[in-house]
Amino acid sequence: MNTEFTIRETANKLAVNQQTLRRWDKSGRLKAKRKQTGKISRYYYDENDIENFLSNNFQVLLKIAQKWALDPNPPEILRRFHCPDRSIFKARLSRLEYDLSQNYNLTKIFPLIVAVTGEIGNNSFDHNLGNWPDVPGTFFGYNTNKRKVVLVDRGQGVLKTLRQVRPTLPDHLEALKVAFTEIISGRAPEARGNGLKYVRKVVVDYNFKLFFHSGDAVLSLSKINKTLKIEKNPDFVKGTFAIINY
Amino acid sequence: MYMVIELKKFGTTLTSREEGREALAAFKPSLSDITDSESVEVVFTGVNTFSPSWGDEFFAPLIKQFGTRLILVDTKNLSVEATLNMLEKIHNIKFTRRNEAE
Repeated sequence: MNTEFTIRETANKLAVNQQTLRRWDKSGRLKAKRKQTGKISRYYYDENDIENFLSNNFQVLLKIAQKWALDPNPPEILRRFHCPDRSIFKARLSRLEYDLSQNYNLTKIFPLIVAVTGEIGNNSFDHNLGNWPDVPGTFFGYNTNKRKVVLVDRGQGVLKTLRQVRPTLPDHLEALKVAFTEIISGRAPEARGNGLKYVRKVVVDYNFKLFFHSGDAVLSLSKINKTLKIEKNPDFVKGTFAIINY
Repeated sequence: MYMVIELKKFGTTLTSREEGREALAAFKPSLSDITDSESVEVVFTGVNTFSPSWGDEFFAPLIKQFGTRLILVDTKNLSVEATLNMLEKIHNIKFTRRNEAE
């Protein structure tokens, strides 16, 4: 079912103001539809049109993802980018796999992109099942032209998860360091916790880039930054916010 | 004598722990038929994406049960290769691999 949104609702969903939407309508960047009621003509937007626009405009999508990660009262996410449960995430991951496999230049590495995305996305579900603080699930978007994937969750974050097995962890900086370097799991006594180490190895070995934000700590990882660069950030992400660049 | 497990029968995108666990549970009854002298061949042909979460759930018990009698076939897919390297490190084991599916 396709939903319609007013200009105000659309502005809210796209994290822009209504003036910007009117400008985009005029320039053709995102065309509004019109409804005539008597003499009054009203703007409205189809959910599909907004989602298509976001699929093609990664910068706007990223801004929304960031807002969703940071805002104490996050706006509702458009359905195409929200995976409220694991089965929807899996379906969208398969779609990513299909889209990437169509690109001849990625024939060899697309399985690695999907594996890394799968590890980060599945972590969100594994570590927050039954414990989502507010909105369950992940924000999952990608743009194959920009070669980027974004994944966000509003879960408990890395520090809180790891403190279940390592209560002495002092802060988010140390938590990210441990998560990406040590085989340790927030779901002990299960023998887990290798996913992010795998992510790290693939990012470094295959020249990807990773931005990973949890709490007030941000990790940047690339072939050049292979010794983990973890810094404090003024923004606070309660769950996790990741951008993979392949 | 050996048993063959074709992983593609569990799907072509093998990434989550939940599904890895389910796959093993589905296959477990057949494993009890294997004698001490038999080996188990796990064939990766046709798998697109393979990640450590799925791999660990499925392989950790197999490693325990079969050790070096586990033979991995057609592992050249980069996600398979990278995941197997990670599993070897975690479980401190060296898998026997055969790269041409025969």
